[in-house]
Amino acid sequence: MTNKDLDSLNSLPVPPPRDAAKSAALSAAMDAFEKNQSAPQASAGNIRPISQSEPGTRRSMMTLARQHYALAASLAALVVAAPVAFQIIQNDRNAPLEIVRAPETEHRSFAREAERRDTGADEKNTIRPEMAAVGDADRQRAADGVTAGKPAPAPAEPTAITATMDQTVAAAPVASAPVAAVPPPFAAREAAEVSALTSRNLIAPRPMGLGVVGIDGRAEPNLYLEGGETRDRFTSADQNPVKQTAADPVSTFSIDVDTASYAFVRRALNAGRLPPQASVRTEEMINYFRYEYPAPESAAEPFKPTVTVVPSPWNTANKLVHIGIKGYDLKSAERPRANLVFLIDTSGSMAPQDRLPLVKNGLRMLVDELKPDDTVAIVTYASSSGIALEPTKVSDKAKILAALDRLGAGGSTAGASGIEDAYRLAEASFDTDGVNRIILATDGDFNVGLTEDGDLKSLIERKRAAGIFLSILGVGAGNYNDRLMQTLAQNGNGVAAYADTLNEARKILVEEASSTLFPIAKDVKIQIEWNPARVSAYRLLGYETRALKREDFNNDKVDAGDIGSGHTVTAIYEITPVGAEKKSVDDLRYAAPAKPAAPVVAASASNELGFLKIRAKLPNAETSSLQSLAITDALAKPALADAAPDVRFATAVAGFAELLRGSPHLSGFTYDDVLALAGPARGDDPFGERSEFLNLVRLAKSAPR
Amino acid sequence: MSDPAEAQQPADEDLARKAAAGDRRAFAMLLDRHYDRIYRLAWRWCGARDRAEDIAQEVCVKLAQSIATFRGDAAFKTWAYRLAYTTAVDHIRANQRLVTLQPSDMLSLVDGAGGVAQDDTIEGQELWRAVRALPPQQRDAVLLVYAEDLSHAEAASILGCTEKTVSWHLHEARKRLKTLLEQVA
Repeated sequence: MTNKDLDSLNSLPVPPPRDAAKSAALSAAMDAFEKNQSAPQASAGNIRPISQSEPGTRRSMMTLARQHYALAASLAALVVAAPVAFQIIQNDRNAPLEIVRAPETEHRSFAREAERRDTGADEKNTIRPEMAAVGDADRQRAADGVTAGKPAPAPAEPTAITATMDQTVAAAPVASAPVAAVPPPFAAREAAEVSALTSRNLIAPRPMGLGVVGIDGRAEPNLYLEGGETRDRFTSADQNPVKQTAADPVSTFSIDVDTASYAFVRRALNAGRLPPQASVRTEEMINYFRYEYPAPESAAEPFKPTVTVVPSPWNTANKLVHIGIKGYDLKSAERPRANLVFLIDTSGSMAPQDRLPLVKNGLRMLVDELKPDDTVAIVTYASSSGIALEPTKVSDKAKILAALDRLGAGGSTAGASGIEDAYRLAEASFDTDGVNRIILATDGDFNVGLTEDGDLKSLIERKRAAGIFLSILGVGAGNYNDRLMQTLAQNGNGVAAYADTLNEARKILVEEASSTLFPIAKDVKIQIEWNPARVSAYRLLGYETRALKREDFNNDKVDAGDIGSGHTVTAIYEITPVGAEKKSVDDLRYAAPAKPAAPVVAASASNELGFLKIRAKLPNAETSSLQSLAITDALAKPALADAAPDVRFATAVAGFAELLRGSPHLSGFTYDDVLALAGPARGDDPFGERSEFLNLVRLAKSAPR
Repeated sequence: MSDPAEAQQPADEDLARKAAAGDRRAFAMLLDRHYDRIYRLAWRWCGARDRAEDIAQEVCVKLAQSIATFRGDAAFKTWAYRLAYTTAVDHIRANQRLVTLQPSDMLSLVDGAGGVAQDDTIEGQELWRAVRALPPQQRDAVLLVYAEDLSHAEAASILGCTEKTVSWHLHEARKRLKTLLEQVA
C-alpha cells in the first residue's frame, strides 16, 4: 500500500447528506444564531464561551430541528434512500469527485440566492484568491495536496522501537497464561523464536518437530503475508519429551475437549497439503471423535475413567496406557436453562460462504435444539459493535431466526468491544441456576478494542468467575488466530472448535450442543504417578499446551478444562516397562542408579503401573473432589487387537497426529499402519466421521512433502 | 466548479467577521458554504450518514453560538475544522459503548447488500473501516492528513500535538493498516 491507498481517502465517495438534514441543520444554526444575537450580553465581539449559552434551550432547539427533518425524511425515505445511496456510490465510483459535488449543485441555487441578497452589503469586500470559492479551493487542494502537503516518509527509528515492543508483547501473553501454564523456559524460547524468526523463515526448511508457523504475526507481518495460509497463527509447542520415572514420576495436565485442530488439519489435507506441524495437537485430534466409554451412573459422579493398557503399535517394547473419561450424560429434563449470547463477527472477511453463512446456518440449527425457556441474544461486531437481538426467549423462535437472517458481513473487526457488549447482555439476562454462555463465532483477529490478548484474557477470567463462560467457533482459513482463540476459550471455561463445513458446524453446535453448553464438571485435572518399579520412562501424547505443575493439581485456584454433558476425553501415555527398555537414556556412569527411596506402597504395588487421580469441581462448586484408580496389570491387553474398537481407533488417531507432527518417537510407523489400525476399528460410525478420517490419512500419504 | 461567479464571493474571514458582528446573511452564507465539508468530515469519522448529519447539525449550532468569538486570528476554515473535529470525536466517543443497530444499519448488514456486485464499493469501505478501527489518535491523524488533506502542521494544531507526533501516528497507522488491509485483500 500505503501512501497511495491513503491518498485515495480524500477522493473516495462520501454519501451525500440528505437535503432535509442539511436544511434542518442550517435552520437550527440560524435559530441559534438569532438567539445569540438577541441575548443581551451577545453584542457583537463579546467573548462568550459556548458552555454558558443556555444549554437547555439549545437542546430543545436541536430536538425540534431533528424532529423536523425526521418528518421530512420519513421511514419510507429511510429505507428507500439507503440502497439508493449505495447505488449512487457504486455508479459514481469511476468519477468519485462527482459524487462529492452532487449535493453542492443541488443547493447552489440557495447559495446564489444568498449571494444576490448580499450583493449590496458586500461591495467593499476584497477578494482574496486563496480564500475565494472555498469549495473549489478544497477540491483543488485535493489534487495539489497529493504532491504538495504530503508527509515525508516516516523516520526509520520508530520501526526499531515498535519491533522490540512487539516482541515483548508477543511473549507476554504466553508467559502469563495461567491455564496453559507453560513452563517459563518455554516463554523464553518463544521470545527467542520471535526474534530468530526472520532468519529462520528465510533460510531453509524448518527443523522437524519444531512448528514455527505462527508465533506472532505482529513481530514481522511481512513474513506471514507472503505465504497465504501461514497467516493462521498457532502456538507452537515442543512435543512432550520422554521422562524418566525415577527422576520425574508424576505427570499432571488439564483435560482438553477442544477439537479445533482436527478440523484445521482436515482443511489443509483436503486442500492437498500437509498441515503446519504447529497446527496439529494430538489431544484435539483424538478428542474430535466420540467414544463409547462406560458412562457414570449419576450426575453426582460426573465422569468415569476407563483405563486400558495395550502394546504400542509403533514400538514393540513399549506400551500405551489409554485413559478414556466419559462425562455424565444429562437427560434433557435435567438440563439447566441456557442463557446464550451469540457474538458474531460480521466484518468484511466473514462474507465467504464458509464463514458467516456457515455460522448462521449452524446457529439456526442450534436454536432448533434449544428449549422454549432458553434465551438467546445476538451481538455483532464489525467496525462498531451492535446488538442485533436483545435477549429473547426461544419460544419466540421466529424472532431469533429473523435476526440471524438479517446478519451480513461488512466492516472491520472490533472484537473486544463486541465481547464487552456480549458480556453485558449475558449479565442482563443472567440465570443463576442456568448455563450462561457466550458463543463467539469469528474467522480470526480481534484487531481493535482491548489492545492486548492479556486485557481480553483478564476480562474473560473475571467474567468466568462471575459465572459467564465463553465458547469459540472458528471459521475460515487464512486469518484464523488459533493462539488467541485457544487462550480465550481456555480462560473462559469453554471450547474452541473450528468449523470448515456445515456438517462440522452441525456437529459442534447441535450434536455437541449439550456437551459444549452444559458442563457437568469444571477444572478437571489429571495426575498420574508412575511406579518406578514397573515403568522406567513415559511420555504423554499431546496436551503440551495443557501441562500443569505438580502442585497445581491440588490447588483449586488453578483453572483447567471442563467436561460437558456426555463428553469423552481421551489421554494416551506411552510407557516403557522396566526391563523392556531399549534405553532411550543411558544410565549415569558416576552416579548410582537412583533407587526410589522407600516407596509408600511397596510389595502390594508390584502389579500397579501407576496411579491415576482425577480432580474436578461440580459446575457450581468451589472445591474439587478427587477420584482415583490404580492402573494395574488387570487392565492390560496382551495385544492391541484385543482392545475395544474405540481404544484402537483413538490409538490410530494418535499415531496419525504424531506422524503429522513429525514425531521422532514413531520408529517406522507409517500412514499405512494408521489405516490398518483404524480401518477395522471404525465401528458403527453413524455420521461417517471415522471413514472421513481414513480418507484424510490417505490424503496425507499422497500429499507433497 | 470553476464557475466565475464563485470567484466573486466574499472571503470566509470577511463573512465571519460580519457574522460575528451579527450579520445574519453573512452567517447563513458561511454555513451554506461549509456545511458539506463539515458533513464530509463527520462522515469520514463516523461512517454513517445519519450520524454524520447529526454531528454536522451540532457543529452548525455550535458555530452559531460561538461565531461571536471569532477574532480572525486563524483562518475561518481552520477554526471551523477544529470545532467540527472535536464535535465528531466527542460524538464517536460517546457512541462507542453499546449501540443498538438502527434498521438502516441493519440494512447495510443484510446479505447481498454487500454482495459480489458491490465489490468495488466494499473496497473503499474496507479502507474506511480499517482507518476508523485504528486507535483514535492514529485515526485522527490519518483522516486529517489524508482524507481532509491538511498539512502536518495544520493537523498538529488541531490535534494539539507537535508535527513530529503527527508523523509518528501516521507511521504507526500505515503499519497497522498494511496488515489489516492485506488480510482483507
